[in-house]
Formats: sequence, C-alpha cells, structure tokens
Amino acid sequence: MSVLLDLAVGTLTQGLIYSLISFGIYITYKILDFPDLTVDGSFPLGAAVTAVLLTGGMDPFLTLPIALLVGAASGLCTGLIHVKIGVRDLLAGIITMTALFSINLQIAGSNLTVDRGTSTIFTAPATMALLGSLPLLYRKLIVSFVIVVLLKLIVDAYFRTKNGLLLRAVGDNETLVTSLSVDKGRMKILGLVLSNAFVSLSGALVCHEQRSFSATMGTGQMVFGLAAVIIGTTLFRKVSFVKGTTAVIIGSIVYKACIQAAISFGLPANLLKLITAVLFLVILALGTLREKGGARHA
Amino acid sequence: MLELKNVTKIYNPGEITEVCVFRDFSLRVEEEEFVSIVGSNGSGKTSLLNIICGSIPVEEGSILINGKDVTHEKEHVRYRRIGRVYQNPAAGTSPGLTILENLSLADNKGKAYDLTRGINRHRRDFYREQLSALGLGLEDKLDVKLGALSGGQRQAVALLMATMTPIDFLILDEHTAALDPKTAEIIMELTDRVIREKKLTAIMVTHNLRYAVEYGTRLLMMDKGKSVLDCAGQKKKNMVVDDVLQLFNQISVECGN
Amino acid sequence: MKNNTLKKIVCVIVCLTLVMCLAACGSSKPSSETKIKTIGINQYGEHASLDNCRIGFLQGLEEAGLKEGVDFKVDYQNAGFDDNVNTQIAASFAANNVDLMCGIATPSAVACFAAAEDKNIPVIFTAISDPVQAKLDSGNITGTSDKLPVEAQLDLIRQLQPDAEAIGIIYTTSEANSVSTIAEYLEKAPAYGFTIEAIGVTAQSEVTQAVDTLLSKGVDLFNNLTDNNVVGVLPAILEKTNEAGIPVYGSEVEQVKLGCVASAGIDYLQLGRQTGAMAARVLKGEATCEAIPYETISEYGIYINSAALAEMNISVPADVAAKAIESSEA
Repeated sequence: MSVLLDLAVGTLTQGLIYSLISFGIYITYKILDFPDLTVDGSFPLGAAVTAVLLTGGMDPFLTLPIALLVGAASGLCTGLIHVKIGVRDLLAGIITMTALFSINLQIAGSNLTVDRGTSTIFTAPATMALLGSLPLLYRKLIVSFVIVVLLKLIVDAYFRTKNGLLLRAVGDNETLVTSLSVDKGRMKILGLVLSNAFVSLSGALVCHEQRSFSATMGTGQMVFGLAAVIIGTTLFRKVSFVKGTTAVIIGSIVYKACIQAAISFGLPANLLKLITAVLFLVILALGTLREKGGARHA
Repeated sequence: MLELKNVTKIYNPGEITEVCVFRDFSLRVEEEEFVSIVGSNGSGKTSLLNIICGSIPVEEGSILINGKDVTHEKEHVRYRRIGRVYQNPAAGTSPGLTILENLSLADNKGKAYDLTRGINRHRRDFYREQLSALGLGLEDKLDVKLGALSGGQRQAVALLMATMTPIDFLILDEHTAALDPKTAEIIMELTDRVIREKKLTAIMVTHNLRYAVEYGTRLLMMDKGKSVLDCAGQKKKNMVVDDVLQLFNQISVECGN
Repeated sequence: MKNNTLKKIVCVIVCLTLVMCLAACGSSKPSSETKIKTIGINQYGEHASLDNCRIGFLQGLEEAGLKEGVDFKVDYQNAGFDDNVNTQIAASFAANNVDLMCGIATPSAVACFAAAEDKNIPVIFTAISDPVQAKLDSGNITGTSDKLPVEAQLDLIRQLQPDAEAIGIIYTTSEANSVSTIAEYLEKAPAYGFTIEAIGVTAQSEVTQAVDTLLSKGVDLFNNLTDNNVVGVLPAILEKTNEAGIPVYGSEVEQVKLGCVASAGIDYLQLGRQTGAMAARVLKGEATCEAIPYETISEYGIYINSAALAEMNISVPADVAAKAIESSEA
C-alpha cells in the first residue's frame, strides 16, 4: 500500500511541477493560437539559472522570481521577433529556442548538479519549519501543490481583469482588439512573456526537485505541454473558461501517470513513446466520441 | 468631418497582379452625415472603408479626420474615434467571452486595459438597459458566451459595442449582408436609430439598394474607383429604388456582369 | 451541465486511481518478498557501451557470489535518452523501495541520486567521466568512472602514425563527458607533439558538416570520444574519412568494431564487472556506498582493426601488435 501511495505522490508531484509548462502552452496555444516553440529553450533556461544560483548559495525561494523574470525575457524576445520584425510565429519561436540552447550552455555548461548539501525549496529552513516532520517525498508534493495552486489562482484572477479579458479576446478575434483601439501586437507579446515565465518557473522547480540541470532537458517539452493542454481541455470540454487552468493541471497529471504506468508495467522503454501516443489518442478519441454521443442525445 | 484628398491605392504595385483601385480619389463627409455607398463587386467600396480605418496603406494622397492628417496614423490608434461593424458577425465580437465581458471590453475602449476588474458590476444595469432596447431578449443572457448566439444577435451586440464609447465615425461594412432578411431589417432599423440618437457620422457600404435609398442622408454609387452618383439633401430624399437600380444595372452591364 | 461536469471529474479521478493501482500491482510484488533484494537499473538509453556496462554489472554480482533470482532481483529500465522518462524511472524505483539503484550514464545516475535522497537508498553509478563535476562523489553513492585514458590514446596514435601532427575531434557541446575530455586532450596533446582541431556541435545533424570542415583543415587523423551524438553517426563519418584516406581512432572497442583503426580504450564489460563487485559489497552489507570511494578503471586495452589499418596503410609496430586485441567485426 505504501508503495502505491509513494508512487502516486511522486507522480502527482511530477504532474504538478510540469503543469506550469501546460499553463504556458495554454496561454500561447489555446488562448493566443500561437504555436510557441520557445518553450524548449525557456524551460531549461529556468533550470540553468536556478542551478547556477543555488550552487552560488542564493536563498532557494529567491530563485523562483528570478526564473520567472528570465523566462519572461525569453518570451519577450520571441514576441518582439514576431511582432516587430514580422517573422512568422513558428519561426520566431525556433529562433529564440535555438539561441537559448547556446545561452543555457553559457550559463550552466552542459550539465550542472546541485549537491545534497545545498538547500532547495523543498529543504529550505522555511519549508522545514512548517513541514519538517514529513518525508521529503511529501514535502515535495505539498510545496509544489501550494506553488501551482497559488499560480492557478493568480492566473484565474488575471483572466478576469480588463487586461486578461483583452488577452482572451486577442486569441478569439484579433480584429476586435484593433477595433478596441489596442495594439494587438503588444497583447501577443504580453501573452508570450507570461507563458514563458511560467515555463521557465517549471524548469526552475524541476531543477529544485531533480537537483540538476542538463542542456538537453528542454527537448520535447513543448510537445508535452501541448499534450497536457489537449488532454486536459478534452476531458473538461464543457467546463466554463476559468477552469481551463485546472483542466491543464489535470491533463499534466494524467500524462505523467500514463508514463508512470508504462514504466511500472515494465513496458519496453523503446516502445514507451508509442504507448504514450496510443494513450493520448485514446483520450482524444474518448473525448470526441462522448461529444458526438452527447450531441445525438440532445 | 472626414476628408480623403487625392488618394491613390494600388494593390501589388509593380507586380503582374497590379490593380489600381483608386487614382486621385477625393471624398468629403460632413459632420452627422449618413452616407450609403453602393456599387458592384470590385468597385472599391470595402477598400475605401479600409483606407479610412487605416487597415491598408495608401500610395498617395492624405486622409484627414476633423482637419487632422491621419494618413500615417496606425490602425488601432485611428479606431480610438472610429467604430466599425463588419459583414461577418464574428468579427465584431469575441465568441469565447460572455455578452457581459464583451460589453465591458467595449465600454473600456480608449481607457487603459489594466489589472482592475474586467467586469464593471455597476454598469450591469446599464448594459441590461441597452440590450433590452435592442428588443432581442438579450438582456437576460448577459452571462452567455457570444459564440452561442445567432448571427443577428451577435451583430446587434457588435453594433452596441462599436457605438458604446463616444466616436466620431461609425463604419458599417455590409453589416446586414450575412443575415436573413428579417434579421437584417431589425439590425438596419437599430443602426438607424443609434446613428440618430448618438448623432453619429456614418458611412455604410451595402449591397441592398433599398437600404441605401431608404436610410441615410447621402447616397454614393461607386464604379471602378470612381464615384458615379453622389446625391444628398432633398434630392436624396426624393430618390426611389428604381432610379438607383437603373443606373446600377447600367454600370453592371458595362462591366459585363 | 453542472452534473455532467461533475461526472467527468469523478470519471477522471477514478481512471487515474485505477491506472495507479494497476501500475502498483505490476511492480509491488517484489517488496512483499522480503529476502530477495531488488536492484533498480536505470540505463539512460540503449547503446552498445552502456549495454556492456549493464551486462558486466550483472556478471560482477554473480562473480561475487550473488545469484539473480535467489539473492537479488533486477528491475531494468531504460529511458530512451529522454530526461523526463529518466526522472520518472528514478522516482518509481524510490517509490518501490528498491534496495539499490544503479545509474548507467551521468543523467541516470544524477536522477537516481536525487530520487534516492528521501529514503537514502544507496546508488551505484557507472559510465560517468567526471563524478566530481556531477557532484556524485559524496553521500550514499559510489561507482566507476569511464574517464578515457587520454594519454594512452595519444601514445598509441604517436606509435602508429609517427609523422602525424593535427588531430581532428568532433564533440557535442552539451555532453559533459565530451567537454571535460576535450579539455584534457588540449592540455596533453602538445607533450606528444600533436595539435588538436576540435569542433563543437549541438546536434547530430551537424556532425557530417563538421567532418567536412576538419577534412578541409587538413587534419592527419580523426579521434573519437565517447560522445553519443558523434558515435551515433560513426558509419557516416567513416564513409567520408575513408574516401579522404584519413584514419579515425575510436575511444572504445565498439567503435573499432565499426571500422575505426584502433583505440586505447576501456572495456565496458570490465567496467561493469568492477561496478558489480562494488554493488555486491553494498548488498552483502560489507560496506556502505559512503565508505567506498568511486573508482576509475586503471586498465585499458589496445584494440585494433587490421582491415581498417591496412586500408589506411598504417603498419603496427611489433610491441603494439603484441598487446593489441584484434577487434574487427569480420
């Protein structure tokens, strides 16, 4: 039983930490309709900066806002390249992503490990004071849960502000935003900034959790985020807008649980991706089938 | 007051697909005038609206709004004083947002879109009033997403949104063309009422000759980038659809339509 | 509609729980049998050298008197070179309370060590060039390093090609092992009268271009590291170098088998065996990982591919030939 619990706790933690990527993708892909490949670079960027700061002895909690800021800066780059220079969305992301690969190597080398003596947000004095009696596994879950839920609430609140409404309108209908006398380019840049700030924060949390950064850790994160968003929003298709953030958190957890299940079943690693793809397809198919079924009943 | 001075607009200049829409075109629209523009396809009606709004640049000439040269002003800056309703009902509203959210956004035009609450509760009653004046029963659907409404309902909301804040010009871009005749009639009547109540200067492009004759204070017929008929005042009032239709058929036949 | 939503949420939660239960059932059996120790092997990906490490590791355990199925069970996972999967494999080992984790290659060892932190599960690593740089040199962890015998390799090249001057090396800037090995080559080459022309790449697709660049710079020979990216396209490299008549030296036996002329390299099977012996001591309770310092393989073998050497018109001096092991696949 404890094995089951530990496994569930570990998977939930992974799902929560990585769900910040899906927050980012949710903003760019779902709201702005912008396929942003910056993610594969901004995710390791957050981890690289965090690894360097942690080994430099910075307070672990202070690394989080810094990761947000550097991620925001990378989103700003993609935004400016797209809006001001007029490079196509996909290419703008690729340009920033490619540049970030070198920048990450410059910041933290090909990989950087944070030794056990250095405290992370999961072992920092503040965390220990509150949750010191719990095993690390549970502390990781609680700390990441608090961070993710806090951010979810902030994002939900933001979507209800004037600015948030406008951001939602940009993805829906650019023409309307121009008619409202607002520069739609600026809103797109803002969306990319927000998105990559979240993605970078996810990288930072992974670095805290894994105690390491590697230059290749960004590969495939955009695809992961996209999958989490699609799984989440398909499962919760009919739920009203603000719950989108909750949906993508669950999407992320489901994705990680699928991988964990595949590993635990001892499925051959070479087939892991194929199995993930099949599970992904099943979820999507169930989503659309249920939609069709519902329509027939109605 | 709006003035177009010697405007030249060429699409794809220098290429084999080069098309000259306007050459040395001038137009002056006075305050509180309601201009209906008719013309066959490709006569430059929509291009004219796009030039006024700044959606497309011009090769030569200048555009003046209330005497101020706005030729090089960006599109979104120009919209500060312009409201526009499009042919596609989806273009003037955000389908993913509720009526309340859409109206709140439109209500804030010209002000900062900051981090304060998006929906203004104090204005709820005001929105309800405005919606009920449309007579489409939308006042009870404030929390319904725009995407769930019919084309006519959407267009009515779009019209409301375009005229919510004080504007100098209302641009109507075939805004009844995508609606069924009955709904089109309702929207057209609404439009006329709003223009009168708010004393707006309006420019309406339409394919419906009857609307062009019945509504508005001035009628403009365009053909190949030129104005072939321009009448206002009493002469416009005395016009009947048949007069316009005759001329319209004449130019259309010339075009080989 | 509200009701429907609720149903869906419940449905998802139920599905999730079900998946987790099934997953746990698949793997929780070993923990109920208390006597057999479980070893979780996390191998970063499938790759001849890494596979040899694993095979050697198991041989090493058997040689120390431990029998698979009687004394220990193996839960072998490979991450397919995916960092996310790698993390989750390590996490599942920790959740399953394995008695020992074995990380093959740096990313896997780092992931295992991070996951083992909570329960202080001992971790054994192998195939890591620089355990100090990877911060795997202290704590409940030990293992073997596959640091390349750079000087032996330079010496071998000097003996086989007395007139050669410039050595071309392609490496991946994001592979830690390669970066540290390049530094060592740059430092030690002058003592053997060589200059190093190193080209860093970021992706496998850039390797063949780098080959062209090195050829145009007129290097006398190529030398490989244990760089996964570069070694992955070794046949393509050899195709170009053979045409140009430039020999390529490998860094371990598998590369020589593929057509490199020679290598002073480590035998990963041997490295694995050494690691297995260390693991056996930990499992038997003779020592803790903390107490055993990590080991660097001291012996290396000289591997040659006679066919490839003949094609390049390189003759092997008698004293080299005496130590060398013929490693051509044919």
